Amino acid sequence: MENQPLKDRKKLLSKSAVSNKKKSNTSFKFWDNILCYGILPILIIVLWETVTRLEITPPAILPSLEAVYKAFISQINNGEMISDVTISLTRVLKGYSYAVILGLSFGSLMGISLRANKIFSSVFNAIRQIPPLAWIPLIILWFGIGEVSKVVIIAKGAFFPILLNTINGIKNTPKGYLEVAELHNISKFDLFRKVYFPSSLPSVFVGLRLGLGVAWAMVVAAEIISSSSGLGYRINDSRALMQSDVMISNMVVIGFIGSIMDLIIRNIANHFSKWQTS
Amino acid sequence: MPASENNLVIKNLSKCFNVNNEEVTVLQNINLDIKEGEFISIVGHSGCGKSTLLKIIAGLVDFDVGLVTLGGKELKKPGTERGMVFQEHRLLPWLTVKDNVSFGLYNLTKTEKEKIIADHIDLVGLKGFENAYPHQLSGGMAQRAAIARSLATRPKVLLLDEPFGALDALTRIQMQKEILKIWEKEKTTMILVTHDIDEAIFLGDRIVVMSSRPCTIKEIISVQLSRPRDRSSHDFGSIRKKIFIEFFKEEENLLEYYL
Repeated sequence: MENQPLKDRKKLLSKSAVSNKKKSNTSFKFWDNILCYGILPILIIVLWETVTRLEITPPAILPSLEAVYKAFISQINNGEMISDVTISLTRVLKGYSYAVILGLSFGSLMGISLRANKIFSSVFNAIRQIPPLAWIPLIILWFGIGEVSKVVIIAKGAFFPILLNTINGIKNTPKGYLEVAELHNISKFDLFRKVYFPSSLPSVFVGLRLGLGVAWAMVVAAEIISSSSGLGYRINDSRALMQSDVMISNMVVIGFIGSIMDLIIRNIANHFSKWQTS
Repeated sequence: MPASENNLVIKNLSKCFNVNNEEVTVLQNINLDIKEGEFISIVGHSGCGKSTLLKIIAGLVDFDVGLVTLGGKELKKPGTERGMVFQEHRLLPWLTVKDNVSFGLYNLTKTEKEKIIADHIDLVGLKGFENAYPHQLSGGMAQRAAIARSLATRPKVLLLDEPFGALDALTRIQMQKEILKIWEKEKTTMILVTHDIDEAIFLGDRIVVMSSRPCTIKEIISVQLSRPRDRSSHDFGSIRKKIFIEFFKEEENLLEYYL
């Protein structure tokens, strides 16, 4: 504003120009947002197109955007995409549900009761320190190469972020509220329902989001290692056949579905955290 | 005066805390006899055990030596016959004012509950704000809701731990008038801890002056003035002076010690 000529500045400051300024401010914000969010993706796409058009790399290493798109369309047409997505999504949701139920239950228990925390923490910590990928061979040995082993792998991976964040959320319940609850002699059930649980929700949702991310990572890993169906399998299979366009199209789908699910959880979290002002 | 059913009697109360592996005596030999319906102000420096004393009466903190009885019955754990208001309002932010006030209400029919809630919200002057959330209320309003919550369970004794300390000076004076109104209406025994001497004199029938570590009762001053009290009256001023002397006399002693 400093560089504008004096008469324009006076105009901007005059009362009749205030509403115009507001309008131009919001539309400025709008375009500014579009520019900021969009510039990097646009640059990446431009770079991608340039590299493939100029044939800097062989198409097997980096397929063109057109090829990826065509691969995507053909997979939809022959039904592969839908069935792969359905299979992988089902596995994720199954494993994730188990992780959520177990994670929230143990998390609440260990958060409220110091004794329960002591009992379970050493074993849980030990299991957690061994990376999920190292568990996969044992899980396959125990549960075979079918659906069960994949659900177990996914559940195990998603369990820990949910557990830890739930414990953290419950432990961080402000002592002041617990004192008020003590004074009013409220029932143990109400203590959980009205004090511990609502207070822990922000942390719980962080755990749920992280857990979902891990669940997706696990499904792809599990399918790459031992599966004959699903998105992870498709990625591995197309790698073997040097079909990088199929590979990348599947990766994009995985990223897209993951983002949608994360967005859903974030919206649910925001709805439940309306009372938070900070 | 005939022996009342619900006198709060504290006998020989002592309490030590373990701080960094050292025993710190926070309360020593407290003896207090509070009649039913009285308004007691407790004044003392910050950090002496005034709040601890309140928490012991409320049942939140246990004690080492002594006896606390209400109407002859020994008090150990928290109970609905004692309510407490803290310096922070401690309203649950995810509940409306209505749900916060009804927090401790059990074993009542729906209509009974509704009536108690409505009565108490009205009592503290928050009519119309039943469905507001704590973050939508000002400091004074939130503290009123906290008071309504503590009174909803019909306690015989209400403990107030520097309840207006977090409010600005003007709101504080307004709230002092409000709590007086509530007391005159509900006739609950009130025990107020404050380090605002004027507040203590304005509100209390008797003022308990406590010394610093270890916390013992230095003096109990009876305030015989009729209410509402005039803060600029001569009698008010002389009581104020009396209490001031108590505090600064102590400080002078400390100076001599360090010299």
